[in-house]
Amino acid sequence: MSTPPLVEVEGLARRFDVSRPWLARLLLREPRRFLHAVAGVDFVIPRGTTMALVGESGCGKSTVARLLVGLLAPSAGRIRFDGTELDLARDRRAFAPVRRRLQMIFQDPYASLNPRWRVADIVAEPLDAFGLVRDRAERRERVAELLRQVGLSPTDGAKYPHEFSGGQRQRISIARALAGRPEFLVADEPTSALDVSVQAQILNLVKDLQERLGLTYLLISHNLAVVSLMADQVGVMYLGRIVELAPAGELFARPRHPYTRLLLDTVPDLEMRRRERTPVAGEVPSPIDPPPGCAFHPRCPWANARCRAERPRPLPVGAARVACHAVEEGRLPDREGQGPRVPH
Amino acid sequence: MTAAIRRFFDHDLWWSFKSSPLTVAAAVVTLLFVLAALFAPWVAPHDPFDPASLDLLDAFTPPAWTERGDPRFLLGTDDQGRDVLSTIVWGSRISLLVGFAAVLLSAGLGVALGVSAGYRGGAYEALVMRLADVQLTIPGILVALTINGVARTLVPRELQEAAAIWVLVLAIGISDWPKYARLARGTTLVEKSKDYIAAARVIGLHPLRIMVRHLLPNVIGPVLVIGTIGLALAIISEATLSFLGVGVSPTTPSLGTLIRIGNDFLFSGEWWITLFPSLALVLLVLAVNLLGDWLRDAFNPKLR
Amino acid sequence: MALLEVEDLVVEFPTRRGPLVAVDGVSFTIEPGEVLGMVGESGAGKSLTGMAIIGLLEPPGRIARGCVRLEGRRIDDLPPEAMRRIRGRKIGAIFQDPLTSLNPLYTIGRQLQETIRTHLDLDARAARERAIGLLREVGIPAPERRIEAYPHELSGGMRQRVVIALALAAEPALVVADEPTTALDVSIQAQIVQLLKRLCREHRTAVLLVTHDMGVIAETADRVAVLYAGRLVELGPVEAVIRRPRHPYTQGLMGAIPRIGVRGGRLVQIEGAMPRLDAIPPGCAFHPRCPRAFERCRHARPEPSAVGPGHTAACWRRLEEADA
Repeated sequence: MSTPPLVEVEGLARRFDVSRPWLARLLLREPRRFLHAVAGVDFVIPRGTTMALVGESGCGKSTVARLLVGLLAPSAGRIRFDGTELDLARDRRAFAPVRRRLQMIFQDPYASLNPRWRVADIVAEPLDAFGLVRDRAERRERVAELLRQVGLSPTDGAKYPHEFSGGQRQRISIARALAGRPEFLVADEPTSALDVSVQAQILNLVKDLQERLGLTYLLISHNLAVVSLMADQVGVMYLGRIVELAPAGELFARPRHPYTRLLLDTVPDLEMRRRERTPVAGEVPSPIDPPPGCAFHPRCPWANARCRAERPRPLPVGAARVACHAVEEGRLPDREGQGPRVPH
Repeated sequence: MTAAIRRFFDHDLWWSFKSSPLTVAAAVVTLLFVLAALFAPWVAPHDPFDPASLDLLDAFTPPAWTERGDPRFLLGTDDQGRDVLSTIVWGSRISLLVGFAAVLLSAGLGVALGVSAGYRGGAYEALVMRLADVQLTIPGILVALTINGVARTLVPRELQEAAAIWVLVLAIGISDWPKYARLARGTTLVEKSKDYIAAARVIGLHPLRIMVRHLLPNVIGPVLVIGTIGLALAIISEATLSFLGVGVSPTTPSLGTLIRIGNDFLFSGEWWITLFPSLALVLLVLAVNLLGDWLRDAFNPKLR
Repeated sequence: MALLEVEDLVVEFPTRRGPLVAVDGVSFTIEPGEVLGMVGESGAGKSLTGMAIIGLLEPPGRIARGCVRLEGRRIDDLPPEAMRRIRGRKIGAIFQDPLTSLNPLYTIGRQLQETIRTHLDLDARAARERAIGLLREVGIPAPERRIEAYPHELSGGMRQRVVIALALAAEPALVVADEPTTALDVSIQAQIVQLLKRLCREHRTAVLLVTHDMGVIAETADRVAVLYAGRLVELGPVEAVIRRPRHPYTQGLMGAIPRIGVRGGRLVQIEGAMPRLDAIPPGCAFHPRCPRAFERCRHARPEPSAVGPGHTAACWRRLEEADA
């Protein structure tokens, strides 16, 4: 890639202990049980670009987001930010200078702002925490600038979050994330709680900010259309692993992994072509007890004995990286994706 | 804090207060007690602790409106000739002081332990909460008696008189913290899962700062509510301990001590010595309790 | 005759500061076997319209004006007991969260049989047979075994299938489905949408499909009603509304939806946000956000008027263009 990488993730994994309490385990003779939320994820995000992770609930995409900003400590693997290896969750103090450079935007605009704080104080929290302003006047000035930057009025700073709509709250959340002048923003489903017209406003804002400030994004979303609009690079996750990683254009034009194809098939067709779709049967299995071999095999129409026994490794296919035996062996029929269309 | 005050009056809280006459009455009674207690030296018609002003000839004077009453002593006098009304005023002072201080101590202790347990989790949380559970299975008054006993053996004899009040506060305060700890932990667990806490952690705020700045304000409201009810209970605890004779000394009587002293004369016909302090105690506890009930309902969004 | 007629429906919430009008003069009909999509953003009044029809408005919300007729008979003024009989027998309901629609204490078989026997004259054996048949029909594998399952033993998608079976148990003529797929994962959403579509076609059941998701509407509905701030702004055949929306709000809404394969561009943006119920502007409720508003929009409220075959829009611009 031409641009230098800002974020490099290697073998990232995180498991959660979901065992019963010690006494119950002893009585029921049960071993400890772990939920492998993220089971070995690799990707690189070049500076100034957007990487998206898509998948259904429980696929581990939000866990990856929380690992990257240090809300969770990885069980294995490494995260490098601008060349420095990070362990934010374990060593709070050592990474204080790096922390300022990566921030997060959350899904629920109601829960992500402290209802008891004025908007100005919410937005200024990173300024205070990182010691970025010298006095009250400078703080006020900077807060006003941040509010203007996200399309709010500086006078909104005196209000409380409950006086704002969901979309405006999300703007406040973005202003807070921008306060430390970060380079990397992790956005976890930033618009999935919003109505479509408000979603459009926020997505446009996020894009504008990227252009203006040269930001790098990791976008977590279940909405393929949003991902297709925003991302340069897309990772499709299933049960804690990236099954397909490809440049966005490539992924939507030529989806390779059967799960990617399934996801694309589920997107409702606004063009009213009324194709009869045959949605793939079955549901996501429990990540506590994932199927052996390829985790997708119980739902996959192309699964064979090898898929049931051996876990596929991610292998390069064109510009993509796909973890699928059928793709590797060329057993999969080519499928046209949903090519570029023009909106009315 | 000014913001909290402003919201208080903006909200339906003030409106719900005004529309409940019982609550207004309770607030007025509580306020009268507090004022009387604060300004006891000026409010009380006599100084019951000034031996010079006492005259044993005045002892056992019945209330002023009875046959043998003396207009100087509205509610009569006790066995030492002290004006009962004045002792009630001074007694309320002790009772309220012990009540407030005990609630402050137990709420402070409980909130600190509860919030930190809820936020940190793990073994620390298990330890704190199991401790609270164990203490909750033992009657509070028993815990207070034990602490009281232990504290008294540790305090040198010559200081016991002066320290009596603070020993009481310690005993009642420690006996009551689990309630606050459980409440604080519950609220903390709810708030901790919200993303504004995650946002603060992403910034890298020190856990202590997150607890104080983000979690504590959420805990204050509900704690205030049970704190008010706790105040009533603490006053009763103090009265009970004093009644049992392990409270403050008879020379600086609280309401509980007054009731106990008066109790001795109940059967000899001097009913006023115990009746009026008892009525005062009932009135004070009832008023504070009603205030607490209203606060609880007003803060409960489901009932609003 | 239309199966369901809703005429000038007004739903109000009395408050200390006066009533809040959440649904304001909504009129539409549903033909037998037809799927009418009702779309709008949160607070547009779409769910309340559905709730008003099935008589489940949460107090203090109440129908302040207008009427609802089912098969020509007025049902909005029925006593609760009579309405309860109609619900289930004539109108089925599917809600967003399948977990709250099912009683966690009873097996799904018991709940199904209870509904069947309340509304249909069947003995226990026949009711059980029918319950198993329904479960099979909604695509639950091994229904003979699953009938003994409790709701928590099923996944979200399976539960929603059970809820659909419950709604269809008494062969109602109309099903009101309020965001039936919103709580589900995307791959499950597609399954449920397909299922709903197939069942209603086979049973000739009409559906009022309330959703915020234009994609679900495009896949499922025959006609679509667009709500904004409690008012019906556009109503028409789904193809016409989606391909050639006539109301500026619907146009903005369609442009705001990101589509796969369209990269790099900006989405059409409707500035501002939907007004709160206590601050609905006079005239056309959309005028402060409308790029094409003019003087008349600011003080006169436009009524729905024809803009195409079976297609109405409540917009002064449209009327003017039609006149010209």
